Amino acid sequence: MDWIDQYADVDSALHRWEPRHKLVGLMSLIFAFSFVQDLRLLPAMLAVTFILYLVSKLPLSYLLTRLRAPGFFLLLVAVWLPFVSGSTILLRIGPIALRQEGWRELLLLVAKFISILTTGTLLFGTASFLSMIKATRALGLPPILADMTLLSYRYLHEIGGDLKTMVTAMGMRGFRRRRLNGRTLGVLASLVGSILVRSYEQSERVYKAMVLRGYGRSSRSRGEFQSCPRDTAALGGVLLTAIGFVVGEVILRKLGG
Amino acid sequence: MHVPDGVLPIAVSAAGYATAGAATWYSLRKINQKENPQEDVPKASLLTAAFFVASWIHIPIPPTSAHLVLNGLLGAVLGYYAFPAILIGLFFQAVMFQHGGLATLGVNATIMGLPALLAYFIFRLRNIVGRDSRMWTGLFGSLAGASGIGVSVVIFSVLLITFIPAHIDAEVERASIWALSLSHVPLIIIESVFTALVVLFLHRVKPELLNG
Amino acid sequence: MKQPIQIPALSISHLSFSYPDKPDVLQDLSLDIRPGERVGLIGPNGAGKTTFFLLACGVLKPNAGTVELFGEPVTHGGFRPEIGMVFQNSDDQLFCPSVGDDVAFGPQNLRLSKAEVKARVEEALAMTGVSELVDRPPHHLSGGEKRMVSIAGVLAMRPRLMIYDEPNASLDSRSRRRLINFLQASEESLLIASHDLELILEVCDRVILMDEGRIVTDGASHRIMNDVALMEAHGLEKPHSLIPHAEMHHERPENGEKG
Repeated sequence: MDWIDQYADVDSALHRWEPRHKLVGLMSLIFAFSFVQDLRLLPAMLAVTFILYLVSKLPLSYLLTRLRAPGFFLLLVAVWLPFVSGSTILLRIGPIALRQEGWRELLLLVAKFISILTTGTLLFGTASFLSMIKATRALGLPPILADMTLLSYRYLHEIGGDLKTMVTAMGMRGFRRRRLNGRTLGVLASLVGSILVRSYEQSERVYKAMVLRGYGRSSRSRGEFQSCPRDTAALGGVLLTAIGFVVGEVILRKLGG
Repeated sequence: MHVPDGVLPIAVSAAGYATAGAATWYSLRKINQKENPQEDVPKASLLTAAFFVASWIHIPIPPTSAHLVLNGLLGAVLGYYAFPAILIGLFFQAVMFQHGGLATLGVNATIMGLPALLAYFIFRLRNIVGRDSRMWTGLFGSLAGASGIGVSVVIFSVLLITFIPAHIDAEVERASIWALSLSHVPLIIIESVFTALVVLFLHRVKPELLNG
Repeated sequence: MKQPIQIPALSISHLSFSYPDKPDVLQDLSLDIRPGERVGLIGPNGAGKTTFFLLACGVLKPNAGTVELFGEPVTHGGFRPEIGMVFQNSDDQLFCPSVGDDVAFGPQNLRLSKAEVKARVEEALAMTGVSELVDRPPHHLSGGEKRMVSIAGVLAMRPRLMIYDEPNASLDSRSRRRLINFLQASEESLLIASHDLELILEVCDRVILMDEGRIVTDGASHRIMNDVALMEAHGLEKPHSLIPHAEMHHERPENGEKG
């Protein structure tokens, strides 16, 4: 598992940006990018994304690994668009026709995908995962959700490790899951069931440990984050950019694109 | 079953967040109505992690293998906690595991979470006919599994076909939705069977997991 | 040590407990622990030690009998920070995503100010010698580190009585020695359940032998652990260091007995 926050201790302006401001700013940018439908805004969108990534000093390889899997899926879904969608033919080779509308849709999809995913990577790759969860809690996420997220995150590794051990042990006793049959499904179902039962039983012990240290006695929201004027200024700048894209899109639509 | 970022128009992403928000609010309300919601938080949290881990298990589905979605099982076991659990699981996937999906978090949560709640309601019907019976437990387990992923597939297909290609005519659209949904039928059957098997395992080993 | 008449740290009277599927886990248990005492609890698996601890902390509710902590009755579900328990499996107890957060958990629930919480965390981490781990996530810790961090998390609440349930399960020799030194330097009253009889011998003057939910005997550690017949009758072995040796290689400075 490649951890999202493996580069969290690089030093850059984005890393130093206070988590709550960063969360609001970059999420707004993500939604603004979502709003874009006009091809003429794509260069600006990609430029903004690229500049932010440069500022973050995160390695390019990191971004590429993150884009790979979802990018593959996206292409699977969208690669046939230029051949199917629209009526204006750009090019025809035998029975296959390249259509303008479909081609535009593909470009739009790919550009938006890259911009949004990169911004998301910037959001969660430039600070520890834990501090980002705390930021969402500080911004008003219901305490139960915040608690659940933190607890799940904490025990994810244990449970993942347990699974690996169990699968190894199964393999050492000769289990091979090449065939889809009743026995394979049954064994895998027992594996899933075992993990669920073990987690459930551990959760009962964890609850006792929590209660012993006073769980439930106080609402534990504390002022953990402090901001400085630079954080607010950065937020202002990013919000303006986001608004700029939205306004630009609206104007271009009005003008007829 | 994930919709990637950038694919859907903003209106749909926003609507997805709205429905996810409403469903979360509803679930939290139901959770807080219980006797001791605090006590269930560690249970739900660790089970969320367990389900997330379980979804990494490869099931051989010729010609390759696939990960199961298991949202029907999740609904049967977690009840109202199923929606927050799915939200959190998707969040982890988006953030930690190179899947993207921040803008479409709401939409994906809706696609997988609402059917999970439906699966819960269906599984709860087991109490009417007698929850100690192996046969009914297995049957309702498979129904929960099928409805969980089945409804997800339908919503997913409709959203994808309707909103991605803007210039496809209505007939092709409808046919594509059908085709995409039907292509998932083998997966639905396998998940249905698998859910029943896990539910029966739990019924034998730790029935209180199913009665929460 | 002179003991004036004091309120016992822990006073158990006729305690009985059954689980729904397991009757008579504890039967009519009575004992007192004086402040400052270090008591070892030994016995085979299934004797009821962990259940006893959970009852003493108020996490479980007894079927019969009473529990008093420093003179005040313990109520089921009540919060008594004067008693702290270190669980057998540290992972059950380290449920926060970072060491610092976990140690802060208890003090925060005591509604202390931010500054006080910070001070307690630093103090507890220093006492257990793990200050440098403060930002580490628990799953990046070794077994020994997890153990000391979970102890820190309990110490941060400044308990007067510490319960240890199998504290050196899965610790290597170095971590074990570190733990023993730590226990010997502790100022709180201690109640330690362990299969590691040598540890009990080093740390505790008094030992309670439990089996099948009852207290079999209660007295000086050497006397009880030297009684081979008694030990073996309850599935225990006499510790190696108590066996008479031709070549002396154990120290027993407290009572002059050489092994």
